[in-house]
Amino acid sequence: MSSWLDYTINGLIVGNVYALVAVGLALIFGVSRLINFAQGSIYLVGAYIGWVAVVQLHTPLPLTIILVAVTSAIVGLVIERFGLRPLQNSVRIAPLLATIGISFVLDQLVMLTFSPNPRALPSQLPDVRFQIGGGTIGPLDLLIAGVGLTSALLLFVFLRYSKLGWAVRATAQDRDAAMQMGVDVNRVNQAVFGIAAALGGVSGLLVGMYYNQIDTAMSLQATLKGVVAEVVGGAGNVPGAVIGSLLLGLVESYGVAVFGTSYRNLFAFLLLVLVLVLRPNGLFASARQAPPEPLTGTFIAPSRPVRIPRWALLAAAAAFAILPLLPVSFYVLQTLINAWLLGMLALSLTLVAGTIGQVSLGHAALLAIGAYTSALLSLTFAVPVGLAVIGAGLMSAALGTLLISPSFRLRGHYVSIATLAIGEIVSLVILNWESVTRGPIGISGIPPLSLFGHELISPTSIYWFSFGVMVVLALLQGRLLGSHLGRSFRAIRDDDIAARAYGLSLNRYKALAFIFGGFAAGVSGGIAAHLYSYINHETFNTQQSILALTVVILGGLGNVVGAIVGSVALVGLPEVFRIAAEYRILIYGIVLLLLVRFRPQGLLGTM
Amino acid sequence: MTTSAAEPLLALSGVNTFYGQAQVHFDLSITVGRGHIVCLLGGNASGKSTTMKIILGLVKPRSGDVTFDGASLLGLTTPQIVRRGIASVPEARRLFADMSVRENILMGAFVRNDRDGIAQDLDKMLGLFPKLGQRLSQRAGSLSGGEQQMVAMARALMSRPGMIVMDEPTMGLSPLYVDRVLELIRTINQEGVSVFMVEQNASLALEIAHEAYVLQTGRIVLSGPARVLKDDPRIRDAYLGGSEAA
Ligand SMILES: Nc1ncnc2c1ncn2[C@@H]1O[C@H](COP(=O)(O)OP(=O)(O)OP(=O)(O)O)[C@@H](O)[C@H]1O
Ligand SMILES: [Mg+2]
Repeated sequence: MSSWLDYTINGLIVGNVYALVAVGLALIFGVSRLINFAQGSIYLVGAYIGWVAVVQLHTPLPLTIILVAVTSAIVGLVIERFGLRPLQNSVRIAPLLATIGISFVLDQLVMLTFSPNPRALPSQLPDVRFQIGGGTIGPLDLLIAGVGLTSALLLFVFLRYSKLGWAVRATAQDRDAAMQMGVDVNRVNQAVFGIAAALGGVSGLLVGMYYNQIDTAMSLQATLKGVVAEVVGGAGNVPGAVIGSLLLGLVESYGVAVFGTSYRNLFAFLLLVLVLVLRPNGLFASARQAPPEPLTGTFIAPSRPVRIPRWALLAAAAAFAILPLLPVSFYVLQTLINAWLLGMLALSLTLVAGTIGQVSLGHAALLAIGAYTSALLSLTFAVPVGLAVIGAGLMSAALGTLLISPSFRLRGHYVSIATLAIGEIVSLVILNWESVTRGPIGISGIPPLSLFGHELISPTSIYWFSFGVMVVLALLQGRLLGSHLGRSFRAIRDDDIAARAYGLSLNRYKALAFIFGGFAAGVSGGIAAHLYSYINHETFNTQQSILALTVVILGGLGNVVGAIVGSVALVGLPEVFRIAAEYRILIYGIVLLLLVRFRPQGLLGTM
Repeated sequence: MTTSAAEPLLALSGVNTFYGQAQVHFDLSITVGRGHIVCLLGGNASGKSTTMKIILGLVKPRSGDVTFDGASLLGLTTPQIVRRGIASVPEARRLFADMSVRENILMGAFVRNDRDGIAQDLDKMLGLFPKLGQRLSQRAGSLSGGEQQMVAMARALMSRPGMIVMDEPTMGLSPLYVDRVLELIRTINQEGVSVFMVEQNASLALEIAHEAYVLQTGRIVLSGPARVLKDDPRIRDAYLGGSEAA
């Protein structure tokens, strides 16, 4: 085992790398109150450009770094100009969603270009290690430290002594006042995106060299770590982001030293949730600072929902109900079963994100909780599958609400970050809690669906079962929206301050929404477990959370029928057009981007 | 002081402004003569600050025109308008709280590139606002309200504007500071800078203004030379009416 000094050095080096990502996030947040979820994708792009430079062009190290910085900066500028600037006057959630869409598109482009297989990224430095004290340090460690310090120094000089740097600081403190001094805010945005992207890209390069491996999964991890470091340091606080990053690096490194490698991320996300709950402004925020609340008030595009006559809904439901009796292929039924399962998740998310305005990015965790509950109930305790699925719904409702409840006081962007982190924590707990979840091996041999002792094995019976469950959930949710409770939910979404002034207890209503939504998602996950017969900690991942969000936006936030229409569209259309699986995520990302830009109210309108 | 019709420097004509569905200005027309101090009076929520935002391009009117020095400002962004020579002292001052006093004042010269001229003007500001001399490296957010007002005024002057627009420059100040601020506005004006100011405190504003307009729920209900309006009984009525309507 290595010495404590080694773990400390490792923690600081990794922290340095996180800092390069987090500083960019802090600059962007400072200037435009936006958490840039595409930051990790730029880091990914940087790593792969580095790979091309090192392995194919054989550039010397300094040139590699410059090449990566410049190309990444250009990517950042393009994102700002074409992805975000057109959204300046749209609803406040739009830029956040756009960065998610951009990140999907970039990651998929990298994956399609370079294949998802990991690649080695040699460091171009001699492989020697020097003894210092009780530990060792290598040239790459020194390089990373050097790049970190140089970047910090350059950034300091830029912000303190250049005119554009002054404009960045002024804009971060008061955008309108800066404009009244003649500052062109678009140029400031451009500057911070360029800088953030250059730093992020170089960070990806260095990480690739540090582990001598790059792959496309790096992207989301980097975004998550950067966000953790930034929030720990206080959103928008540049020096805070550096300190937050070093702290995160150390916490992870010591955590690994004590508990093992698979705990690394768990510590990062627990730190994040702890900071969000206890000190949402970060560890170093001074008391005088007003809490940064990037997304208060209505941030959902107001619109008049499309009225669908009752007979049309009934006709559509009847048509889908009798579909298995017609001569359709199993393939069609299979596709629609997937749509119904996604539909249940979308019902859940459209309630939580649309009706009560808590934009969750970790909804797949509710699927996972449901799936594991149902699988374990039926396998370990021999509970009949039908009951186990209901148990799955109840468990997701209870556990999901319990896990999110400390974050009820958060608003806007912070809800999204907290749910994302909680989603990751659920997955990591599943990975590490071997005695219950069987850890990385996963659970196999899950019995098929059954109802009152009859196994549902034929696609037709599974189709009817999942369709029926979804319709019941949709009807319940429709009733809920029309009730007094539904109106209270929307009041909280539209103006939580006013809602509180009217005496509504926000926490209780948020809890009710998560209980209802958790049940629907848990049932979906439970059914899925019995259909798949094998699940592990990666079966339900962030990609599914984002897919659900895209479905919900496509249908119209808060819109029950929209959630189902969106599911059928996003599951069905790629099948209809026979789009290869590798391109689907890319398509989803593009759909999300186009929706945010051109039709934020979705197909059927927000409710 | 004379109030003879001066050549108009700034003119709003027939401006209608909306926030979403709500109309804030109804056919608003205001002119500021070159070299004049013009004051816009009105109660809470009558649309005074929105008028400032219209001039600065932070909010665009649905119809009507805004011209400065004969050219329309409507197609311009806020930074472009500032470069035309309009500086502002915003409502509640809006200093850059975490930047130093010196940096705040220099931010006012953001549109200029003449280093020497800027340095000279900084010295000039310290002459005009002697108290700020000892506070140059202090965080602007830690100053008292009156001191912050001085910084905001110095910051506005640093761009060598042809005109300054001020939103309630005396708000929240002690009587001593109120007198200082009014005196300074007069001094600035005597050096050739036209001033458009929004005020709630009618009697103070009318002391120094050449002309005044009274705004009531988005409509001009009274206007004329300040000397005349000072003694007009309607000014109090209009005024109080405005606040009650709010
Ligand atoms: N950004 C905005 N969005 C929607 N409504 C706004 C906005 N800003 C101002 N309003 C509304 O427009 C009206 C006029 O506001 P404005 O700030 O111009 O008034 P004011 O005369 O400056 O008031 P005060 O004396 O309180 O400063 C008010 O009813 C206000 O609520
Ligand atoms: Mg005002």
